[in-house]
Amino acid sequence: MSDLPKSVRIIGMKPEQIGHLHPITQTIREIYSIFYDMGFEVAQGPELEYEYYNFDALNIPADHPSRDMQDTFWVKENVSKNPTKGPLGQNLGKRLLTTQTSAVQIRFMETHKPPFRVFVPGKIFRNEATDATHESQFYQIEGLLVEKNVSLAHLKGTLEHVFKKLFGEECEIRFRPSYFPFVEPGIEIDIKWKDRWLEVIGAGLVHPEVLCIGGLNPEEWQGFAFAFGVDRIAMLKFGIDDIRFLYNGDLRLINQF
Amino acid sequence: MKISRNWLKNYFDKPIPDANKLAEFFTFHSFEVEGVEEIGNESPAVSLLVETALPRSLCSSEDCSRPSDTASIADFIIDVKVLPDRAHYCLSHKGIAGEVSVLTGQAIKDLKIPDMLEATTEVGPMYKPSIIIQDRKFCRRYMGRYVENITVNQSLEWMKRFLEAIGQRSISGIVDATNFCMFDIGQPLHAFDADKIKGVIVVRPAKASEKMILLDGTEITLTTDDSVIADDAGPLAIAGVKGGKRAEVTSSTKRIFMESANFNPTAVRRTSTKYNLRSESSKRYENEITPELVSLGMNNICALIKEMNPEAKFGPIVDVYPVKAKQTVIDFDPAYIEKRLGVKFPFDEAKSILERMGIIIKGGDTSRWKLTIPFDRLDLTIREDIVEEIGRVYGYEHIKGILPPKTNMPVEILPIYYLSEMIRNNLVAQGFSEVSLYTLVEKGDIETAKPLARDKAFARKNLVDSTMTCVEKNALNADLLGLQTIKVFEIGKVFSKEGERLVLSLGVAQVKKIKGVKNESILVDALKTLKENISLFGNETKDSVVDIIDNPKIITKGNHAVCEIDLEEILKSIKLPAGASYKDLNFMPSSSNHYEKISLYPFIVRDIAVFVPESIQALNVWESIKKGIGATNAKELLVRHSLFDTFKKEGKVSYAFRLVFQSLERTLTDEEANAIMEKIYEVMKDKEWEVR
Repeated sequence: MSDLPKSVRIIGMKPEQIGHLHPITQTIREIYSIFYDMGFEVAQGPELEYEYYNFDALNIPADHPSRDMQDTFWVKENVSKNPTKGPLGQNLGKRLLTTQTSAVQIRFMETHKPPFRVFVPGKIFRNEATDATHESQFYQIEGLLVEKNVSLAHLKGTLEHVFKKLFGEECEIRFRPSYFPFVEPGIEIDIKWKDRWLEVIGAGLVHPEVLCIGGLNPEEWQGFAFAFGVDRIAMLKFGIDDIRFLYNGDLRLINQF
Repeated sequence: MKISRNWLKNYFDKPIPDANKLAEFFTFHSFEVEGVEEIGNESPAVSLLVETALPRSLCSSEDCSRPSDTASIADFIIDVKVLPDRAHYCLSHKGIAGEVSVLTGQAIKDLKIPDMLEATTEVGPMYKPSIIIQDRKFCRRYMGRYVENITVNQSLEWMKRFLEAIGQRSISGIVDATNFCMFDIGQPLHAFDADKIKGVIVVRPAKASEKMILLDGTEITLTTDDSVIADDAGPLAIAGVKGGKRAEVTSSTKRIFMESANFNPTAVRRTSTKYNLRSESSKRYENEITPELVSLGMNNICALIKEMNPEAKFGPIVDVYPVKAKQTVIDFDPAYIEKRLGVKFPFDEAKSILERMGIIIKGGDTSRWKLTIPFDRLDLTIREDIVEEIGRVYGYEHIKGILPPKTNMPVEILPIYYLSEMIRNNLVAQGFSEVSLYTLVEKGDIETAKPLARDKAFARKNLVDSTMTCVEKNALNADLLGLQTIKVFEIGKVFSKEGERLVLSLGVAQVKKIKGVKNESILVDALKTLKENISLFGNETKDSVVDIIDNPKIITKGNHAVCEIDLEEILKSIKLPAGASYKDLNFMPSSSNHYEKISLYPFIVRDIAVFVPESIQALNVWESIKKGIGATNAKELLVRHSLFDTFKKEGKVSYAFRLVFQSLERTLTDEEANAIMEKIYEVMKDKEWEVR
């Protein structure tokens, strides 16, 4: 039967017997298995997030051009006269649909003592027009490692290890300078996939200001952080050519995997 | 920002790398390049040849001067994506030239721009402007002067060409000159018609409901949060954002008031955002530029005016600069470079990089360095910034990856994640497929401020509504999917006034009704099986879990049924087993299948049942069906088949197959499907099998 399409089922197998995990879940699981072996634990944050965790605490102040880097779905509500306060008494500001898993960084630092290694899979939202490669919702994976004596070489080593496991030994990564307000230096990381360099990961060393806001002493602790889109990885791995197919609930796609 | 390579060349005595090489330098050492474009040459191939084939030494003499009016206007435009960190100094050709200098080691030449800060006259109608800054926090510096005896329209060919090269329309001599200066050094400038100004120039907050007409003729009503440049008669411009109509420079203008100033980034951003008036000027202010640049701006614009109007007379400059900018000094331990980059770094190389940036270094190899940062480098404030500068210029490719030290700490479990993943495993094993649907829907409690569409304005209040639609849609494709019952689930967040919760929804649709099996009972059974699985968690399963799972609220609609379970409630009443580990969940590598396009065209279903002797197996029948299909060259149209019925009777077996045909390119006709079936029947006939 080798000359028939792959999707054709083998005779005798009852198709109902087993269901299918969504391609995003499969991708997150495969990636987490690699990070698990490196000692990363899972953390998650809310999808309805406060301005403080999503922006302010990540060194993205109100009325700063860096806020333009992400189009945000703000919640339509009157700004309360008694704003919600965080555990340290900080004003948490307005609510929004979280634009980045990085928002979980501060939440985790507030409640945990270093050293730690954290893996954050999460759904995030961007208020931008949708097309085959852009969706208003998608999944991101955040990594955060805070220990003593952390350098860019550790960041590179970690991601090289992960992407070689994921895409094969021949996979290469490269660093380019970039800017994300909550890391310094800020790095954009490209991945070589089938002889093409693809811009996939934003990363860097955790900004000392962010460590301070998280209650850590930057003289003692350093860290690296990175984030990448799960959808992008899933689309590459499975050859899916339209991101919107991932969210329309169509089993004609999901049941292929 | 668009950068002209010809423009950049002005900054260097020696030839600079070609556009593609520059783009590569920027990409790996500065910022992203969005594109490189060749313009203004009718035969680009020839130009490319010259660009690459001529030895550098041969093109150096032409390479470094302003192009004469008759010179070739071929140019390369490099579109660089300057992010907020480098926007303080890189939204200009001067800033980019600085990057080129740092990256190539080539020194920037003396541009020999005449000193224009002295007045050429103080008598007659030329006088000193009176300038008042009311709010020093808003206006950090304001420099102004009158210039007379000018003709506005006389622009310069080379200047027009540079502006047009980066996509800026030529407007008039004076306006072109202010624009040229801004794109050259990054300082916004504004010229007012001096004869239309009445009295004293004041930088002040706008009055409540104060009105002004902008250059484009639109009227705007200001608030006290906005700041204006005003005279005795009212506002002349929205400070840093947009000029007003009243004192606009026109072709009849003979005298101008020239402004070079520095405004507060936040305030400019608020005003420009509020009125949707983003301009090249507001962009530079909102990213913050040093007030030290104001005098260079005034000098260079006046030099250009002089070049255009040799007879122009320049009045004295008034410079209101209440608090002089201070230079940042960073105390830096050079050992920090290696600690953060993770690569051995020679100190003299690091010093050389920093010095090329204009940073003044005090201190030797072994001691700490005192780094005095140039005024325009507002991005450099802490030692990590210095590490980045050294790392990026040196090149991150020199960093060799190392794994962080192995850790012996046990990996903590996040209970809600563990529970969700366990449920996923369980439901997939029970034949449910996982969907991930849209969070933003038509109705809900939590509304977004600027929705993408009216039917996507709210965060969903439940999952079941979309689960219902999802099973309905999939039921239509049941044959294509080879399913008799559609079973889906989703685990996701729902949102109410009280906040968000993680819930599980299940949906089922029996396409081919199984006798005595209700949709509801499929859901109830699935949850029962799930409960047994969850109960294995610990022996403390409380009644509430039993309740939630045993009495699910099932919604039915036609052939479909859905229900929703609150996972956070379940989590409250269970305990994770001692020693639980993610390893228990057996995460498998993702599927190795490659996506096959979903056809947009309808499919056709045909059933065939064949009576064959008992010795014939299903596979033999299938081979024959395949042979029949193969004879029609329609192999790729068969997208799904299944053996849906088998029974024995009188020493014979009946095999019933369902065949699904679909094309990726067109709508199949019944005739096409029939023709395929005919071929299959022929094969069956040859075998002397009975088609029922």
